[in-house]
Amino acid sequence: MQTLWSLGSGDVCEIIEFDDALAERYRVRLMELGFHPGEHVTCLQSPSFGAPKVYRVSNTIYSLDDEVAAHVRVKRHV
Amino acid sequence: MSRILLIGSPNSGKSLLFNRLTGLSQKVANFPGITVDVGVGKLLDVPDTQLVDFPGTYSLQPISAEEQVAVAQFEKALEDDNVEQVLCVIDATRLEKSLYFTLQVIRDCEKHGKPVAVLANMIDVLDRHDLAFDTAGLSEAVGVPVLPVSARSGKGVQAIVDVVRHHRTDAGRVPGNRYLDSPDELLRGTAHQLAHRFGPKGDVLVRSQTRLDGFFLHSLTGGIAFFIIMFLLFQSIFTWSAPAMDAVEAALGWLADLIVPHLGQGLVSDFTADALFGGIGAFLVFVPQIFVLTFIVGLLEDSGYMARAALICHKPLRIFGLTGKSFVPMLSGVACAIPGIYAARAIDSPRKRLLTYMAIPLMPCSARLPVYSLLIAAFIPATTTLGGLVGMQGLAMFGIYFFGMVCALLVTGLISRTSKDHYTDLPFVLELPPYRVPGLEPLLRNSWNRSRHFVVKAGKIIFTVTVVIWVLGYFPNYGADLGESWLGHMGRLIEPLFTPLGLDWRYGVAIFTSFLAREVFVGTLGTIFGIEGADENMVPLVDHIQASGMGLGSGLALLVFFAIALQCVSTLAILAKEAESRALAIKMFVGYFLFAYVAALLTFNIVSLFTG
Repeated sequence: MQTLWSLGSGDVCEIIEFDDALAERYRVRLMELGFHPGEHVTCLQSPSFGAPKVYRVSNTIYSLDDEVAAHVRVKRHV
Repeated sequence: MSRILLIGSPNSGKSLLFNRLTGLSQKVANFPGITVDVGVGKLLDVPDTQLVDFPGTYSLQPISAEEQVAVAQFEKALEDDNVEQVLCVIDATRLEKSLYFTLQVIRDCEKHGKPVAVLANMIDVLDRHDLAFDTAGLSEAVGVPVLPVSARSGKGVQAIVDVVRHHRTDAGRVPGNRYLDSPDELLRGTAHQLAHRFGPKGDVLVRSQTRLDGFFLHSLTGGIAFFIIMFLLFQSIFTWSAPAMDAVEAALGWLADLIVPHLGQGLVSDFTADALFGGIGAFLVFVPQIFVLTFIVGLLEDSGYMARAALICHKPLRIFGLTGKSFVPMLSGVACAIPGIYAARAIDSPRKRLLTYMAIPLMPCSARLPVYSLLIAAFIPATTTLGGLVGMQGLAMFGIYFFGMVCALLVTGLISRTSKDHYTDLPFVLELPPYRVPGLEPLLRNSWNRSRHFVVKAGKIIFTVTVVIWVLGYFPNYGADLGESWLGHMGRLIEPLFTPLGLDWRYGVAIFTSFLAREVFVGTLGTIFGIEGADENMVPLVDHIQASGMGLGSGLALLVFFAIALQCVSTLAILAKEAESRALAIKMFVGYFLFAYVAALLTFNIVSLFTG
């Protein structure tokens, strides 16, 4: 299963679910920000050296690091 | 007095709106999480009415202790009979982000029977891009008034005042029980639908933001831009504020020359010259630096760049338990810890903010420079190596600066891995705000407020400590001989503490007085060795130190001690205020003193092994 963290720049995906390893409060916060199952997310930037990636959800842009993004399971659109 | 509550999600322009409605000057910035306190101001044009500004939060379901406090305060305020209305600010350009929170607020207001109005801010941005937002439709759907406003231009602000004035009429009606029994999950879905139905269509705003991010976050261009911006920031701290600092110093000197001669000889004259102009003046000199730094940091925040800088620095700092948002406070700390501590406000994770507070005092601040210069001149030969390319004294200066930075990272790395405290950690989820052209007036007002805060808050503590140290150094022989003063006796009393470092009582006294400010170390040694103006010209003092029989081991031990010890009353005062914890300031002072002492002891013994 792919995760938000595995996306490259320009990739579009649909959020499937959150990994059990992601703490409940983080999961809640992500959903409040718009990262809920079924939502479409675009990866806008995937910088080098493991720096946090940049994602667009609806009309808002967020940066997430791997501690969070690696626990969001997604289905990449081809 | 009636009260109106102002609440909204982070970066919705709530503080700017608060300033518009009250005429006050709450700190505003284009960076999420700037409001950390509850602000209160009298509403303009509405007599006997207070506006209460709550910290921005993404939902009424808190995930950190600070959010919990903010939400609890809001819930408590709703029970207050004096609270007549709630104003909920949303960002009209990013509706979905704000609507879930808005529905939660409406639900709470329904529960307490409080009227609520939604203020759709940043409507000017939509107007500029010909984007439509159906506020009437949204109002109909959620059952409360939705007012299009622009805190920046002032558009719609009068309509808010009218709603507040006539809140008992239809315009500010008590909501029906539309969402009273709705669980959060349902509200989330409803918010999603409402945003799609009534919000602005198209992605023109996001596209322009993405284009700029393509440059500023690109591995190559972003790195170059970051380096240039940080270089300019650093220049602003050191170079651009220097003329203003010199001017303050000159003005204080001029004032002292004007006043002191009229006071005659004796206690009043000595107190005015040494404690007031010497002690307090030494801290007032930093005010221009704080003003300039706050202005530049504010400029970066308002433009939207600060969030990008935090992103770029996040990965390397995470290794040491910090966050990308720690970078600017730590960089500021290289000039002076105080503006650095202020800048740490923008770190949303309480745990990472605490770790940043711990790192800042270890950054090599400018007050350490005179101490380093003196000790390096006294103990490191002015020779060169590598064919004259590298000077040993310059290398030593670089080494001690680098040592301070490494210590800062090692301390936070160690504490983050070993400490189990009650401070909540938050994940790195950073909203990247749109790029904006900063407004000059709010920037200047904020810099002025921060500088005033520094003088008022730290001034009281600094004055008290200055007076205590002055009294100890002045009596019982009325300033005739520092060595025979109470401070001198205390120096002899604590001499056994410094003997293992190869230092005698004179250095003990100088370390003691340097608690006022590190650079006082140089002046105190000058006084003890009987040299006038040692802080202006160090050469005679260097000669005296070399002649005093102090060895290389002691000199390097002192360097290491000053690189680590938290010898600065101003920093401790601001730390206690900003962290709202005197205990933390005391623990850090004691902890860094012990760390500095042990490191200095090790240095002395290791160097002595090689030098005999």
